[in-house]
Amino acid sequence: MSLNFDPSYALEFDFGRGQIRMANASARVIIPCDALLALCQGANEEAVRDFGRRLGTEAGRVMNDRLGEAWQASLETVLEHLGGELALMGLGSLGLERWGQALVLSFSHSPLGAAGDFLLGSVLEGAMQRSFGRDTVAIKLMRDDQKVRFLMAGYAGARKAGNWLAEGVPWGDVLSRLATRGAS
Amino acid sequence: MNQEVNKLQELLARVKRNAALPRTLVSGRAPEPLAPVYEPPAAAFSPPAYIPPPSEISADEVFFDSEAPPPPSVPTAIPPAQVAQAAIDASVDELLLEDPFPSVPPGPSYSDVLEDPMPVAATGAPRQLDHEEDVSGVMSISEFSDEQPEELLEDDIVEMTATEAAAIPMVQNSLDELSFADVDLDDKQAAAPSEEEPPVSSSRSKVAGTMDEALARAAEQIELEEGREVPLKTPPPESGPQAAVMPQGMHAPLAPDIEELLEADILPSTGVRAAVPTAEQVGQTVDLDEARGPSLELDHAAASSTEELEEEAVASEELEVTLPGREFGGGYQADLMPPPEARQDLDAHRQREEAIPPPPESLAQYPSPAEAQPSAFAPVIVPSSVTTDSYSESVSTVTVDAPPNAEFAPELLARPEIGPSPVAKFIRAEAQRPKTFMELLDSSLSLGSD
Repeated sequence: MSLNFDPSYALEFDFGRGQIRMANASARVIIPCDALLALCQGANEEAVRDFGRRLGTEAGRVMNDRLGEAWQASLETVLEHLGGELALMGLGSLGLERWGQALVLSFSHSPLGAAGDFLLGSVLEGAMQRSFGRDTVAIKLMRDDQKVRFLMAGYAGARKAGNWLAEGVPWGDVLSRLATRGAS
Repeated sequence: MNQEVNKLQELLARVKRNAALPRTLVSGRAPEPLAPVYEPPAAAFSPPAYIPPPSEISADEVFFDSEAPPPPSVPTAIPPAQVAQAAIDASVDELLLEDPFPSVPPGPSYSDVLEDPMPVAATGAPRQLDHEEDVSGVMSISEFSDEQPEELLEDDIVEMTATEAAAIPMVQNSLDELSFADVDLDDKQAAAPSEEEPPVSSSRSKVAGTMDEALARAAEQIELEEGREVPLKTPPPESGPQAAVMPQGMHAPLAPDIEELLEADILPSTGVRAAVPTAEQVGQTVDLDEARGPSLELDHAAASSTEELEEEAVASEELEVTLPGREFGGGYQADLMPPPEARQDLDAHRQREEAIPPPPESLAQYPSPAEAQPSAFAPVIVPSSVTTDSYSESVSTVTVDAPPNAEFAPELLARPEIGPSPVAKFIRAEAQRPKTFMELLDSSLSLGSD
């Protein structure tokens, strides 16, 4: 199944009603980024996580609607469509990395910056939940000026990785340790 | 001499000037004898008053000169008929004796002359004509004008003694006597030389009184004539060419003898004439420097006998030296020594050449062969190839191949050859790529799980 993402007429601006609608989706609101960040910074972690997961569930649902059977979708297809939907939200460009058995997703050029990384992770967890029906934890591996990397792991692996990252283990070594210990 | 010439010139000028002036007849002849129609003058004629010379003035006149002048005498007028009659009586000869070609028109009439305000001294005295005026018959008009009378020259002054003055008859105050006094005057002049004596200041030689005196004067004259040269008289043109007489002690230069001159040139050291230059040659002698360079010598065997001497004498005339041919036209003899001035120039030229540094040699050129010294460190053979390796445009490196026969050629060390063997081993790890995103996601969720 190779269905290319087509963003044509994805957004519909109804000036008479003053509404912005996304195709095959509910109404959208365009808000300033700093206002969103201010809201996230003022809310607790669970509220932000829930907020983000709700955004991701919406993106996963749209992708599933386009793909039909997302569980059979390839790496590229998921990346293309899920990345397209997140781009329409204005959260940045989605990337996919495979480090052995580990799945690393990344965001580039996110307008929210480092303060929105927790929100972005939550968006990815909601999209995986909605699209693939798996509960995942997005562990932030690294952050630079342009890109932020998230390791998509289960709860056990996420705890270990979090600990190693907290110990200062480079994110490469964390991946290696997860792969080695997982293999062993 | 110059004074005499000046006097003559002045006299000539005066004669010319007087000739240009109008002439008036003192005599009773008609002024214009050739005029076809005679018109008598309207006014009466009276001759000008005569001023007697000082010698003719008597003592009474001198003493009573301060008295009032006598009343002017009425001039005697000549009736027109009388004047016309006088002109008719004039003979043809007398007319011809006068100037047949008067250059000037006739002078003023006598009436004009009478109106001349010139004062007349002693008009009442009888007019005594000078003998010169009577001879020439010309009276200068300057006497009737305001101009100053001309000064008389020495030649014009005639000294008269008292007896001579007394011999001159008193001139009557009548025109008849004045006009016909020529004959008497001629007689008087003919008798005058016999009576007059040379003045003291005259340079004329006096007649010797005695025979001795005449002989002495003749002797002095001969001595004076012997002391001076006889001036050459210019021969008249019709006399033809004359042979000039050369003065004694002088002679024309003799023509040079060509043969003698040739002998002097050929054999300058032989003969007395060649050794002693002539007077003409002394001033034109130029001292020549001695010849530089090798001298030309003619070798011939010494004659031993008379026959050989004779043969040699004949052969010496035929002895010739072959001049250098055309092939030596542009060459020179290598062993010739340069002259001293040329040597100085040559040294200066060499110094200038040494002072000029050689031009810079480009890195891309070979070293000049002239500077290559025979040394062990220098390449013996010109390198066969030159390569230029340049890593930048501004730096160029020249690599010259070392000659193979150089003594201190660089030692070339080569790395030992090593056989081909694997340096590194890459192990390709083949990981199963998940076909679906769900597989990768499940594998990633399994990480870290015990």
